[in-house]
Amino acid sequence: MNLMTDIKISMMPTPTKNSLPLRLADFVTLAAALDYAAEGETGANFYSGRGKLTAVLPYRELRQQALMLARRLLSLSLERGARVAIVAETNPDFLRFFFACQYAGLVPVALPAVVNIGGHAAYVGKLRGLLQGCRASVAMASDQFLPFLSEAAEGVDLTFLGTPAEFDKLPEQNVELQCSGPTEIAYLQYTSGSTGFPRGVMITQQTVLANLAGTASHGGISMQADDRCVSWLPFYHDMGLVGCLLTLIATQRSIDYLDTRDFAMRPRRWLELMSSTRATISFSPPFGYALCARRVSAEDVAQYDLSAWRVAGIGAEPIRAELTDRFAKLLAPAGFSPDAFVPCYGMAESSLAISFSPLGKGVMVDWIDADELAENMRAKPVGAGKGSGFVRCGTPLPGHEIVIRDEHGNTLPDLHVGRINVRGPSVMSGYFELPEQTRLALSPDGWLDTGDLGYLVDGSIVVTGRHKDMLIINGRNIWPQDIESIAERQPELRSLDASAFCVPGADYEEVAVMVVQCNINNPAESHQLTQRLHREIHEELGINCLIELVPRHTLPRTSSGKLSRSAARADYLLRQKNEKTRVAVEVASEAELSSQPEKMLAHG
Amino acid sequence: MTEYQQILSDLSNELVSFTKGRFEVGENTELVGDLDLDSLQIMELLLFLEDSFDISIPVSILPDVKTVGELALQVEKIMRGG
Repeated sequence: MNLMTDIKISMMPTPTKNSLPLRLADFVTLAAALDYAAEGETGANFYSGRGKLTAVLPYRELRQQALMLARRLLSLSLERGARVAIVAETNPDFLRFFFACQYAGLVPVALPAVVNIGGHAAYVGKLRGLLQGCRASVAMASDQFLPFLSEAAEGVDLTFLGTPAEFDKLPEQNVELQCSGPTEIAYLQYTSGSTGFPRGVMITQQTVLANLAGTASHGGISMQADDRCVSWLPFYHDMGLVGCLLTLIATQRSIDYLDTRDFAMRPRRWLELMSSTRATISFSPPFGYALCARRVSAEDVAQYDLSAWRVAGIGAEPIRAELTDRFAKLLAPAGFSPDAFVPCYGMAESSLAISFSPLGKGVMVDWIDADELAENMRAKPVGAGKGSGFVRCGTPLPGHEIVIRDEHGNTLPDLHVGRINVRGPSVMSGYFELPEQTRLALSPDGWLDTGDLGYLVDGSIVVTGRHKDMLIINGRNIWPQDIESIAERQPELRSLDASAFCVPGADYEEVAVMVVQCNINNPAESHQLTQRLHREIHEELGINCLIELVPRHTLPRTSSGKLSRSAARADYLLRQKNEKTRVAVEVASEAELSSQPEKMLAHG
Repeated sequence: MTEYQQILSDLSNELVSFTKGRFEVGENTELVGDLDLDSLQIMELLLFLEDSFDISIPVSILPDVKTVGELALQVEKIMRGG
């Protein structure tokens, strides 16, 4: 609440219209982008879970606040490029600290503000890993998150740790600010690396600006003077930070924010806010659309007006056309057009966006033969509705190229599935202080190996599978190693006793499964182990994981003695299928024995 | 009945209907360990608490809550204003 006293709040959201001529991110630094946006009337607005406007931060005000804070940060005599770790809640303070770093020549690092039930130790451990990974000099958290951050910082050599109010007590230095220059690091983005090994993606000013310019251009979402955005994505994710904060500032557009947790609790707020602000742009991973599709009733739809929504961005996890179809049908009475869907592909290692599907065309599905794909890594077109459907994610942003490579690094022709490689001005400089990881991801001639699998068709990217073995649950990347290590540390288990993967579940979702082999025959002990694993996985990773206990030596190994997750997954699916058949047979025979009318009911 | 007991009883009843009566719910029942609630169900539960008691639950209380009783205690604390 401290920010309330510092930031002047006028309780009217910032306008959509701006007297300032629209510029499409043609700036050399983020500081220069904010300097320009501050000449206009637009800004960021924050809403509570109950839909009340709680804070308004015009970019003009943000710039003044950030400049003042930058001068205070200088009093700490930090070296240029020192990392400032910020527990990234959706509030004006995040913007203020992020941009103060830009003006002071420091590097902001957004830390997650997501905690799970009972997950105290796991959250503190995660924060500590990030503070150490980026070698933070300074760390900030709100009053509610400071206890966790302080605990995580024990033994970490920080120059300053505090709440925004404590930073505001630092003396302002009366010196000329030297803002972060075009070739300096704009921010570190911690990403998909497994929790044991966080990887900080280094993005320079010119790199992120190249991505923002590409996103704003005709090859991207073609930003217009009457655009306005709504976002509930967290700032510690690339889509939230780059897509739904930096893009808007670099194009001087207003944005309305909902907190991520408030969205998860009350998904309808997203659509209500889209309606009341007449927003034109919003992005979400598929699960956000799925959550709305599940909760929204016909009466709700009657209240909405989504006719202004022209870019409904969808990405970050595999996109299923059944979902977008269902969402579009449900919201058609509110004026939502299925053509508004814009599938996109990207990753933090390429700032954010790599490609956008053409605007106004909706979801385009490529139907290919499933056997050809699995056996020969070929995309053989089949009739619509037959085979497997994959969504086209469009052509790469201007100035970017994509090639598909086989395992030996040879370039493959169209319709051949291989690893997607990207080159262009949006690609990262590397992983912070991880030369080996950087060497694996980036070739000397600038190609980024995304690790994703896909193919090209008519210049468009089609992603057939994300990184080998990675689980994507509710838009979050989860590494199987992180789940397996929780099993392996249990006293009754050893290393290589667990294998984690995901399987398709109901309602368009992927479900995490871990098969655990052990010598436990006692049902009470099995139950206890299963429950403990389930709880600890939830505390650390925030996901529910189905646990299957099997006898030792059940898990399949490769010829080199390693566990094979794909074989473990295939075995699991087979056991499930057999189990279903067994149950079905039993049910059927029971039904035979019981009364005939009941059986008829079941069939009728 | 004290305020805490009232909250506990409302919360337990809600959890019984949440889990379709598959579990017995008491003070020491673990939300994730015993009731198998997933993240979205936890969100629905928080929504129920916020709406029925007209409070706003700070996200930062969650890491130190494991059982139904601990959650009820936190709700009581928030209702008393901290």
